[in-house]
Amino acid sequence: VNLAHLHLLLNHVPTIGLGFGLALLAASLLRDSEDLRRAGCVALFGVALVAIPAYLSGSAADFVLQSASKRPQEVVTAHQNAAMTALIPLEIAGLVAWLAMWRPRAWHRPAALMLSIVAFALMARAGTIGGQIRHPEIVTAGAAAAAPSWPSPAAAGAAFVLDNPWVWPISEVVHFVGLCLLFGVMLLVNLRLAGVIGGVPQAEVNRLLPWGMAGLGLNIVTGMLFFLAAPDQYTQNGAFIWKMGLMLLGGLGLLYPTMVTEESGSPRDVLQAGLTHKVIAACSLAIWIGVIFFGRFLPYIGME
Amino acid sequence: VASVLALLEQTGLAVWIRESGTLYGYPLILFLHTMGLSTVVGISAAVDLRLLGVAPGIPLASLEKLFGLVWAGFALTAATGTLLFIADAAKHASNPAFFVKLAFVGGGVAALVLVRGRVFRGGARGAGLAAASLACWLVALSAGRLMAYIAEFIS
Repeated sequence: VNLAHLHLLLNHVPTIGLGFGLALLAASLLRDSEDLRRAGCVALFGVALVAIPAYLSGSAADFVLQSASKRPQEVVTAHQNAAMTALIPLEIAGLVAWLAMWRPRAWHRPAALMLSIVAFALMARAGTIGGQIRHPEIVTAGAAAAAPSWPSPAAAGAAFVLDNPWVWPISEVVHFVGLCLLFGVMLLVNLRLAGVIGGVPQAEVNRLLPWGMAGLGLNIVTGMLFFLAAPDQYTQNGAFIWKMGLMLLGGLGLLYPTMVTEESGSPRDVLQAGLTHKVIAACSLAIWIGVIFFGRFLPYIGME
Repeated sequence: VASVLALLEQTGLAVWIRESGTLYGYPLILFLHTMGLSTVVGISAAVDLRLLGVAPGIPLASLEKLFGLVWAGFALTAATGTLLFIADAAKHASNPAFFVKLAFVGGGVAALVLVRGRVFRGGARGAGLAAASLACWLVALSAGRLMAYIAEFIS
């Protein structure tokens, strides 16, 4: 088993999983159901998160093909660009779905639905091109040459970093700012969840959550720039695999404080946190510290 | 000054941090430095956002506890920062970004002390202080993160 297998496993999430989330969200708009709304938003947010390692593992699969000298270069490049073209609207859809869970507004679900329909169509296109890499027997003559080369955001992102020497250092700065924002907000939200901070309802502390999400967003964008410019440096690094696994867990863990409802009867209830909350808060903080650990150790461990 | 810096670099501790090549040396110290400063800057930024009107429903009294965590984070950052400095004393002392970083860390800490005294205890609104604090940390972070690149550039 290698990371190419992981890609073959994960690449179904942004296509089939997205179709599933999209259907739930559409159903929640047709039938005004709170349960369907939650399910649709959670599914879309989860798909948007898993789509990131799905994309990254594609570069790992490319590395495997390169070392086996079995790489149909044009199709791989077209697949990569098509995947990034689909990933961008999908990530925005995931963010809007998260907003719909955090503090619903009337435009959230229709916007998330529109974005995910666009993302679904683009993902299907990326998948079709990707299938030609794995199954050359189904490619009819001339189909590979007809693989679309536009738009090419993956190639443009890599060129942007590689052609401008200032982009990498500035992105490192932004990555650090994003880290501090996310970690600071996670500290406050989880310390409240654990009951360490008292005398304030969770919902009030949760107003800071979009700033943590903004930090996460900055880090996904800048992290993706690093990855596009030097994919092998990351896919061949064990610390990076750990970092991405933990980031996925941490991201999914964001759902808990976002969706938690508390019985705010007497002021004393607000001050008390159950054991479940304490455990979840501790795990969440440990996960983010782990993300920072593997990120910081990346240059020192994990190189083959 | 140059001889003091050279002396610092040749201490056994400095040599070990710089040259031992173990994960418990330079990488671990760097990680702890990152953890300490992201705690300080992260919590400061969250408090500043509160003072600037995000999440106005959080009573300041409920955040007072966090100052303990901030000072612990600062102690960790300062201790690990000292270790990282002595490991490459001459190099860092000739890097302008290092002094920019120190100055703005000073500004950030001063803002924290003022926020505690004037806003948490004194009842001032503190929006100006919060903005100054955010600006200081932003510059300090940028200068710190860019140190390695600037050192490469000037050498």
